[in-house]
Amino acid sequence: MTAELRPLPAFEYVAPASLAEALALMQQHGTAAQLLAGGTDLLPRMRMRKSAPRIVVDLNRIDGLSFIELRGNNLHIGAGTRLAALHQSRIVAEKAQALAAALRVMASPAIRNRGTIGGNLCNGSKCADTPPPLLVLDASLRLQGADGERMLPLSEFFTRREKPAPGCAKTAIRSDEILTEVIIPCRQGSSTYLKLGRRKGSSIAIASVAALAAITGGKFEEVRIAVSAVASAPVRGRKVEAALRGMPANEETIASASALIKEEIEPISDVRGSAAYRREMASVLVRRALTRIAIGER
Amino acid sequence: MMLVKFKLNGRIVEEQVAPNRTLLDFLRDGLKLTSVKKGCDEGKCGACTVLLNGEPVCSCLMLAVQVRNAEVTTIEGLSGPGELSLIQKAFLEKNGYQCGFCTPGMLLATKALLDHNPDPSTEDIKQALEGNLCRCTGYEQIIESVSTAAAMMKTSAGE
Amino acid sequence: MDRKYLEEVKKLLGRDHYKIVGTDVQRVDGLEKVTGQAKYTADFLIENALTVRPVWSRHPHALIRKIDKAPALRVAGVECVITGADIPGENQCGYYTDDQPFIASDKVRHVGDIVALVVARDAEAAWAGADAVIVEYEELPGVFEPKAALAGTFNIHDEKSPGGVKIRKGDVEQAFRECDLIVERTYIAGSQDHAYLEPEAAIGIPEGRQGMTVISTNQNPFRTRNTVARVLGRPQSEVRIITPYLGGGFGGKDTYGPIISTMAAVAAEHTGRAAMIVFTRYESFAYRYKRCPFEIRYKSGATKDGKLKAIEVEYTCDCGGYSAHVLGLMKRAAYHATGVYEVPNCKVTGVAVYTNNVPVAAFNGFGNPQMGFAIESQIDLLAEGLNIDPVEFRLNNALVPGSHTGTGQLLDHSVGIKELIEKVAQRADWKSKRRKTEETRKGAKKRGVGMGCSWHGCGTTGLKHDWAGASVILQRDGSVNYCTGIVEIGQGTITSHAMMVAETLGIPYAWVKVDANDTSRMPDSGETHAQRGTFIGGTAAVDAALKLRERLNALAATMLGCERAEVVIEEGLVHRRNDASRKLPFKDLVTGMYERGMNPAEYGFIKAKRDYPDPETGQGVPYAAYTFGCTVAEVEVDVETGQVEVLKLYPGIAAGKIIQPDIVRGQVNGCGVLGLGYGLMETVVREEGRMVNDSFGDYMIPTILDKPEMEPYVMVEDEYKYSGFGAKGVGEIALISTPLAIANAVFAATGTRYYSLPLSPEQVYLGLRKG
Repeated sequence: MTAELRPLPAFEYVAPASLAEALALMQQHGTAAQLLAGGTDLLPRMRMRKSAPRIVVDLNRIDGLSFIELRGNNLHIGAGTRLAALHQSRIVAEKAQALAAALRVMASPAIRNRGTIGGNLCNGSKCADTPPPLLVLDASLRLQGADGERMLPLSEFFTRREKPAPGCAKTAIRSDEILTEVIIPCRQGSSTYLKLGRRKGSSIAIASVAALAAITGGKFEEVRIAVSAVASAPVRGRKVEAALRGMPANEETIASASALIKEEIEPISDVRGSAAYRREMASVLVRRALTRIAIGER
Repeated sequence: MMLVKFKLNGRIVEEQVAPNRTLLDFLRDGLKLTSVKKGCDEGKCGACTVLLNGEPVCSCLMLAVQVRNAEVTTIEGLSGPGELSLIQKAFLEKNGYQCGFCTPGMLLATKALLDHNPDPSTEDIKQALEGNLCRCTGYEQIIESVSTAAAMMKTSAGE
Repeated sequence: MDRKYLEEVKKLLGRDHYKIVGTDVQRVDGLEKVTGQAKYTADFLIENALTVRPVWSRHPHALIRKIDKAPALRVAGVECVITGADIPGENQCGYYTDDQPFIASDKVRHVGDIVALVVARDAEAAWAGADAVIVEYEELPGVFEPKAALAGTFNIHDEKSPGGVKIRKGDVEQAFRECDLIVERTYIAGSQDHAYLEPEAAIGIPEGRQGMTVISTNQNPFRTRNTVARVLGRPQSEVRIITPYLGGGFGGKDTYGPIISTMAAVAAEHTGRAAMIVFTRYESFAYRYKRCPFEIRYKSGATKDGKLKAIEVEYTCDCGGYSAHVLGLMKRAAYHATGVYEVPNCKVTGVAVYTNNVPVAAFNGFGNPQMGFAIESQIDLLAEGLNIDPVEFRLNNALVPGSHTGTGQLLDHSVGIKELIEKVAQRADWKSKRRKTEETRKGAKKRGVGMGCSWHGCGTTGLKHDWAGASVILQRDGSVNYCTGIVEIGQGTITSHAMMVAETLGIPYAWVKVDANDTSRMPDSGETHAQRGTFIGGTAAVDAALKLRERLNALAATMLGCERAEVVIEEGLVHRRNDASRKLPFKDLVTGMYERGMNPAEYGFIKAKRDYPDPETGQGVPYAAYTFGCTVAEVEVDVETGQVEVLKLYPGIAAGKIIQPDIVRGQVNGCGVLGLGYGLMETVVREEGRMVNDSFGDYMIPTILDKPEMEPYVMVEDEYKYSGFGAKGVGEIALISTPLAIANAVFAATGTRYYSLPLSPEQVYLGLRKG
């Protein structure tokens, strides 16, 4: 159940010209300030009064937050990079296949033209589409704050709850921090992303899975699995990974390992699907994603 | 109130606007451009689509103050007064509309598509218009309209 | 509607073929819509209009103990707060029965019942004012299932049911004894949101001593006018409804149109100033009335030669807190409960039940998609049980000219269903696809084809008489002003009217200007629903144009010095048949009328040819004519996930003469996708009477990516003698047959039968594992 939609509340608005200025504002105002990047999540949340900042800090004037650069063996993506730019990028299609796959089934062109990768991560939705690909790609985040910057592996960014619960995941970002960069190490392996929706047009996932695998000599040299919408946060499927590392890549091993995802998630029943169905579908999607990689499709 | 200065359908506009006013409400109520429609006010239906520097965006998800120095195009910007663009002619010919409420957004999304990809496949068209909901037409004649527009544009380019 | 309009027009025109009708002209509203100039209700920016905000009940069932307006009146910018006690006229807005106060005063009966209206200078003040009104409720136990409502004592109203319907024909007990196969199942067809792109809106404009004008999103200007007049306590003559273009309706703005219009009117009346209300999408989802959920127990039997002998049907309609549209749709479902087949013995019993859910609206299909799900599933079950091909079975029982319906109505002509089934099956390559079924049932993705047939009587279901008016005014320059009481919702009806008027008069289509819909210009023309816009509304247009054409022909005969039968008026030129030497411009003929004092204007007025079926037996003539539909769906089911993809739809309609084929193609395509939505993905999820999936993010409607491949529709032009140009309605028929075809196709593909719509992936998945 959403909350009713109201007109936007009143707020102060600042559009700083530099990151330093923005950081100063965040330090000054703390939780009374909200960052505005794409606006595709913030504005609806404000309409629902789930968010009522006293001051909105618009990041869109700041240069240097939007880039897609291959530096050596790492893909650097500015947090302010529009999803549309990532969707159209050849570098992303080559070096971060699962992310490219997710962008194809996510939102709509108009939303992608405004939405940013940083916003999609910081929104903390447990159904978000960019976290699973970035998790299997072992992405890390650069967070800048009042005291300087820190690097954080994405796997430590989302807070997972003990018991299943509806609502957004908490993220590890501090109230004075701004996410500035996502860094993806380009290692071996192919990756992909599969999403189960309630129609062919994009919708919030019933379950979604990202998978990365490096297969040498018919064996899984490396396997990484991540899921969304079936736990209180996007998470890695470590049992599945452990079961497959070093194993031959065939139908049987994939099928039996995929089933292990069911033990690693805590889906809830909501309007999108029942917990039982989502648990089963997570397993089906893990199996299909790994099979796709094994067969050599992208 | 803040001053926002931007180009709207080729003309410079300079207005005072409250920071919490969406681009959609500003265009409709402030500038009386009621061709931009409010379908859901949360970015899920595409009826409020306008072009921002040539790219489709949901005007309900932008603050008016954010278009400072940008170029905004609404359906009025598709052609000169009293004229019809080829896209509009194609939609007329192929009945790519029924109630017409989704039509302004649909035409602008089409313009952005054809500007980038003058020869779109059916799949390209579907991907480009995914965010524009239509409840009346079943989309069939919309797709035909876009293909027809592309063909018309190719022909006129060749002339 | 007793005149044989089809024949008369042909006689007057002196030819069997048409110049305009049946061709693809550009719509009259096309230019406005592709340029963004078309105005919808919320686009009328009335200077200094006040903003109206409702105070909604958040409780499904509660007594109203006290309403405290004072805190709201203290909010800066709030003009007034209107409650039930402030209603100037009658506080009543029930659609068919007087069971619904316009503003709830003693109790609220559903989430979204209106408790007060706050009127303020702008949106900010109005929202703040609505928040500030304090309502003291005493919560009552709520009930959300018809069975529980019937079993318990909830006192939502004095009666548990606003009404029921019965069909009693023949002797079902005896007939079942003679059957070789009897199938009995329970079917559930759920609710559906109209999800039109334009939210509800209305503006009330006081016109001093002249009365009240309302501009609004409604599909029934005259009923809206009457409701507003009643609530304001004014005579109907003092209320004027202007209905601009609608951004979709599908029946939702039929049921809710009077309500939202009255909200604006009451606010304007109270303040003496223009007042506007626009719903948010959230309100449109959470509070506005939707498709009626049905639970149907359907028993049918056939003999082994494949002949249907009897049906016994019991169903309940969950109408929510007020009866709203339920009585009409419940009755329609009963009158159509046999399906497109001749069934000699029928026992049908329907009952509407009050619950504390949101009330129900008309929605494209109006009970027929719900009942059709049961009917067409049963047909396939019987066919399967008797080892007869489903299409064969249908052909063996299909209505033909000379058949009697379940209500005992003789259908003597315009019964194109049998030919339609044959043609659609052929177009869909039915036989070879069915042969391949064994093959296509292997593997993780299974394919299958299924058929769904539909029929839909044209005209308002019998709770009131069914009439419509139209006016034609000839100008001396040859142009024509046409006005109708039918609303342009997007369906293109006003274009078909303009075409029929132009054809009848003998002038170019471009000369006919369709004026805005304005109740002060037109006698009550009924609602724009039930496939009556062209069928009855268009016949009124022809009625008017025909009367004028008769006078024009008489005058032309005089002016040309020939017999009336020799007069030809075509493309705006008047001449004697077989003599092209002397051609008179049409405008000269019209001028001649004025100069001779011959009336150059005419009203048409038509009343539909039907009666009220007997309340005990349901026997009678509920509709003048029936449109028929048939769709074959080809689906692919992913058995691991339960996802159903509709690969292709093959639709067909038998709707009499098709006035504008490409517009009708749009109707068929659009309805097909609406039907696909109902069949696969759309459902209203509620918890304790509150809608849970109340946004486009969770209420799934088909996007362009969900569109299946659409075969151009099969057209059987089984003309109806008594309508203009023999046309019947087309606005709903293709929605009805689509989910029925999909359900049967899923059965063909998987061997699993589903008894509940929609066939969501999860439901399909569970069914595959159970069976």
